[in-house]
Amino acid sequence: MAATDPGNIPGMDKTDFLRSVREALGRSPANSGRALPPARPYHRLEEMLPQLEEWAAEMETRLRENRPQLLDRFTDMAGRGGWNVHRVSGVESAIGCVDGLVGDIGATQVVRSGQSVFDEVPVDTGLEWRGIEITTIVRGEGSEREQLREIIRQADVGLTGTDYALAETGSLVILPRRGLSRLVSLVPPVHIALVRPEEVLESLHDLFLLRRLEYYRRGGEMGSYLNFITGPSRTADIEMTIVQGVHGPRSVHLVLIE
Amino acid sequence: MPEVKTGQFTTASAAAMLDPQLRRALDRVGVGFDVARRNAIEEVTSEAWEEWREEARNIKIHTLDHLDYYLELLHDNVTAAGGQVHFAADAAEANAIVGHLVQTRGVKVATKSKSMVSEELELNPVLESLGVDVYETDLGEYIIQLAGETPSHLVAPALHKSKEDVAELFTDKLGVPYDEDIEVMAATARVTLRDKFMEADLGISGANFVVAETGTLVIVTNEGNGRLCTSAPRIHIGITGMEKVIPSMQDLAIFLRLLPRSATGQRISSYVSMITGPRREDDEDGPEEFHLVLVDNGRSRMLRDPKLREALYCIRCGACLNICPVYQRVGGHSYGWVYPGPIGAVVSPMLTGLKEAKALPQASSLCGACREACPVKINIPRMLLELRHRTAEGENPEEKASSRSERFMAGAYGWLMSDPGRMAFASGIGRIAQQIMPGMPKRDGWIRKAPLPLLSKWTQARDLPPLPPKSFRQIWRDELGSDEAKEVDSGGH
Repeated sequence: MAATDPGNIPGMDKTDFLRSVREALGRSPANSGRALPPARPYHRLEEMLPQLEEWAAEMETRLRENRPQLLDRFTDMAGRGGWNVHRVSGVESAIGCVDGLVGDIGATQVVRSGQSVFDEVPVDTGLEWRGIEITTIVRGEGSEREQLREIIRQADVGLTGTDYALAETGSLVILPRRGLSRLVSLVPPVHIALVRPEEVLESLHDLFLLRRLEYYRRGGEMGSYLNFITGPSRTADIEMTIVQGVHGPRSVHLVLIE
Repeated sequence: MPEVKTGQFTTASAAAMLDPQLRRALDRVGVGFDVARRNAIEEVTSEAWEEWREEARNIKIHTLDHLDYYLELLHDNVTAAGGQVHFAADAAEANAIVGHLVQTRGVKVATKSKSMVSEELELNPVLESLGVDVYETDLGEYIIQLAGETPSHLVAPALHKSKEDVAELFTDKLGVPYDEDIEVMAATARVTLRDKFMEADLGISGANFVVAETGTLVIVTNEGNGRLCTSAPRIHIGITGMEKVIPSMQDLAIFLRLLPRSATGQRISSYVSMITGPRREDDEDGPEEFHLVLVDNGRSRMLRDPKLREALYCIRCGACLNICPVYQRVGGHSYGWVYPGPIGAVVSPMLTGLKEAKALPQASSLCGACREACPVKINIPRMLLELRHRTAEGENPEEKASSRSERFMAGAYGWLMSDPGRMAFASGIGRIAQQIMPGMPKRDGWIRKAPLPLLSKWTQARDLPPLPPKSFRQIWRDELGSDEAKEVDSGGH
């Protein structure tokens, strides 16, 4: 996939570079092979699978037992972070909520990701009935990437689920992969996200524990991308005045389905 | 590297202080960023904040002490994720690496998200010389790119520009009607740059952190341009200083709590993006190639230096700028190189040479506010003093910049001030001298230019407060003091 590099790429050889770092650290110059791990290894790198699994189990229990408070806290923090939060109960109200939001915006084109939440909450029929064109971003064979990108660019609304939600910061955490373009939550001027209660975690620590667990379970595969989204795109680069929607969405909605 | 103008601090700062527009802009920094930072800390309680700072500092100490190990781990994990790591000893090498990638991949258009290291490398002219159209996409960076200027703040690069400046600039460079509505200007940038994002072959980003354990590059942004730069083009190059590595993903939690609160007072920024290698086979989109360029460019010199190593703990939040009484008056450009403010007064001399930058460590009242505000507790005042010491007494002739007369004056001052009798005698002479000496222009009661050759050099960049008619010691003796104090005062020790 990557282009080939005939001849040498400029830059310093890894061994030489690390040797210069080692010299700066005052290490013995004779040690020019592989860097030695810290004498007292950093405890966080040692926490391998069994330890991580134990912690994850404890975390699951804690989250389950505190679910109602956790959802309240998440809702509060998400609102403060700039999300328009809509708490709904059940699939029917969720569909109605999305329908209403898309209608209010006056959207004619909607793109959505191919995530499992849309199997549970089938929003397409209602939107199509309103005459809205809805495209699910899942790549087919061949060169459809460019075409999908253009569709995303034209869309009025991007619709996604989420992988995690964080009560600590009011963030959604999305891991782009098959069925989940990086651009659906970013390029259209409005982003609407569906959130299920079991996706809500308490803290950044919870999230990174789960990510590390997954990394080690999958034999060192992290996936290419992870995004925290907290509220709309913002800038304050001109006279420190906050403006929403400079490169990403100017308005973001979160539908929490209880 | 960009032109080093650290030697012009005295003249540049004097001019900056007379610029009313800059004054208004810098006032906004204190009100906007620093108040927001304090509020954010209050919300989490200062006890929790102190614990986080301590933990973050310990992580940085540990990582820097074992930098060779973590860099190798990072290299291995980026490579395992399908990316390529490049090592650059200096700016020229880093630029050559990017230049090579650009040429071999046929890159025509590049979009950049904000990267202070790329400012340090002065990468854009190199890319332009290779025929690449480069677009800065952070709104502040875009503004200063259009204006042909350099950033004046670590977080808000176009801080020094008024909305009228930007409106004129957009009319001039983009051909849009003049409109000083900030919403309208942001929309102009959105529309103009949207096309570039989609056209670009290459996206260039910096890194706020790189995680050794997983080979992950982390960027913390608000506008969404960082996400676009790292998602839309077919190639992504991340460029960062080698000190940005942290051991484990678990360590990120603490830094993601500290950085946005310290920078803008946000609990977290709008976006945090974590990139591990190029897009995978199954992914819908993302770059086909991922390159990470790790830059030394003088950092190993800081690493080698036990008294200045902690400057490498810096996470570039800008909190020390926002609180600094000197930065707030002279602005970022006065510092004469990429990194302004208190941390810049340490980093710039280390990366570009102390002799030229000798005025920067002097540009501090050593009030300690920067150290208090620093999320990783960097002892900036201690390092400024160390650099002053090296300027005056350093063994390294490259660093030593004080003249013989300066050293003579400092010695004489020390001798006079270290004994009460000598001090009383000297201030008595001074009191008489300031009455009878001609030609001491005063303003607001301050002496602007002292007459004696040695003193006049000192007042070139400073005003001298005149001696009051009576010294504190005299007032104490005549009006306030007890009998014992009088005895101590007249009788010696």
